[in-house]
Amino acid sequence: MLHMYLPIAGNSVNVFLILGLGGFVGLLSGIFGVGGGFLMTPLLMMFGIPPTVAAASDSNQIVGASTSGTLAHMRLGNVDVPMGVMLLIGGVGGGTVGVQIIKLLRAMGNADFLIAVTYVIMLGGVGGYMFWESLQGLKKDKNPPVQEEAPKTEQKPAKKSLMQSLPFQYKFEKSGCEISMLLPLGFGVLVGILAAIMGVGGGFIMVPVMVYLLRMPMHVVVGTSLFQILFTCVNVTIMQSYSNHTVDFVLAVLLLLGSTIGAQVGTAVSKRLKADQLKIMLASLVLLVCVKMMAGLLMTPTIMVALKGGH
Amino acid sequence: MGMKEITMNKILKCLLTAALVSLVLPWSSMAAEEPLLLELASTNIKISTFYNGTTLEVTGSLPADAEVVLQVSGPRHDVHLKEKGKVAGFLWMNKTDVALENTPAVYMVYTPEGAKEKFLNPELGVGYKALVKDIAISPESEDKAFVFGEYVKLMEKSGVYAINEGAITYGEPNDGVKGFSVTLAIPSKMSAGDYTVDAIAVRDGAIFSRVVEKLTLELSGLPKMISSLAFGKPLMFGFMAVFIALATGLIIGVIFRGGGGAH
Repeated sequence: MLHMYLPIAGNSVNVFLILGLGGFVGLLSGIFGVGGGFLMTPLLMMFGIPPTVAAASDSNQIVGASTSGTLAHMRLGNVDVPMGVMLLIGGVGGGTVGVQIIKLLRAMGNADFLIAVTYVIMLGGVGGYMFWESLQGLKKDKNPPVQEEAPKTEQKPAKKSLMQSLPFQYKFEKSGCEISMLLPLGFGVLVGILAAIMGVGGGFIMVPVMVYLLRMPMHVVVGTSLFQILFTCVNVTIMQSYSNHTVDFVLAVLLLLGSTIGAQVGTAVSKRLKADQLKIMLASLVLLVCVKMMAGLLMTPTIMVALKGGH
Repeated sequence: MGMKEITMNKILKCLLTAALVSLVLPWSSMAAEEPLLLELASTNIKISTFYNGTTLEVTGSLPADAEVVLQVSGPRHDVHLKEKGKVAGFLWMNKTDVALENTPAVYMVYTPEGAKEKFLNPELGVGYKALVKDIAISPESEDKAFVFGEYVKLMEKSGVYAINEGAITYGEPNDGVKGFSVTLAIPSKMSAGDYTVDAIAVRDGAIFSRVVEKLTLELSGLPKMISSLAFGKPLMFGFMAVFIALATGLIIGVIFRGGGGAH
């Protein structure tokens, strides 16, 4: 089997394995509009790639996959550019802050606990809510064939009044909503910070934020999420290369050869699925990762030390 | 020992030709005590684009009544670790910072068949128990033997620490001399740097001769280029990485638009 040496990771990998991994994660990215970092980073670590290199090279790879996916979704009219730009401006700001926060947190030491716990709670909360909500939607779909795109929830009136009281109201055509520009901007900052700290693209947080908080239609969410992840990851890749020297170019290229093709296939799959089907699948994936992380925290480790990430 | 080493190296150089000849002709006794000889098939390994670790043939000879053990060890550095511990009583997390100072990045021992205990003896300076003596832990309050033991497990898993029992094979003794050979594993996790291959001849439980050879691993070709760019021009490297990712995404996107309609 063909192997290639990864000069930054300091290890060699099976070329076909990494191409396949890229293809699989790219597929998910095209279907759900997530970068897939929350899956990719742990998988790469399993193949002996240091965690910091895995996360940084993955963000480089996401640049390729989301370019490919955004193009495909744009052709389907699924990208709300103004919304994406607002999320993006927030995301780039948040990402830049996040890289600095990582350094600070590492210096303080006890941050690992805080990150792991928030991560698990967030995955569990977001995944659980989305799963429950889309399950209700699918049930409703089966009984009377009512065709309602907007998800119904009880909190709707309270949120709406808060959203309408903010300045800079703008009508986002593709998303079909009129809200303050400050909302996507603020959410962008939050997701950008999280993305940089956890080494994930932030898609699995961004997608629920757009579905439930910004009330955008699911298919537009997927396209717009990819659009903004693209730029967020451009920023993270450059910052990581510059400050931490953790981007392994060979690894990233192998991954993105697989993922760019996967993203195209994923988009085609996404087109054929209903919003609730998409949501329940993404929710299951998020819950699966959550369970895996919890197992890691609860089970007694076989080796009681780990290499400290980065320097 | 130092004097002996220098003498050994001199003798080694003088006898290299003789050693080669000895493979063809029967060894003729030249001195009262046959020296320990060690030869590496190569002392410089290049890490190129498709490198996936390699193996290295090592041969040598020693008096028929002695035994030989080989140690391969790598650049020593301080290793920064996180010791796992329970947080809030039930969550396993990377908890305490510990550093193992002066720890080799690579440590592999090769012994002949049987009598493993005879060689992995701290008094001979061989094996993990001997290695841990040169290593310091910080903070000193941590349990050095335990942390090092766990670190060894971690390194054995990635293939850079190993005790290979029975890896050395001997040839038939001839005129009081026997040849030995062993295939060293050079895993891909063994990074560029200088290593030593240390042959120790043992007789009656004591070292009577020792030869050390240097082994260098270096990046070449594409890995070398990428590595020097990533560390030498990090900003340019970042932009280049992004540019190539964007270009690939665009190209694949365009290709699929061209052919995608048919699906």
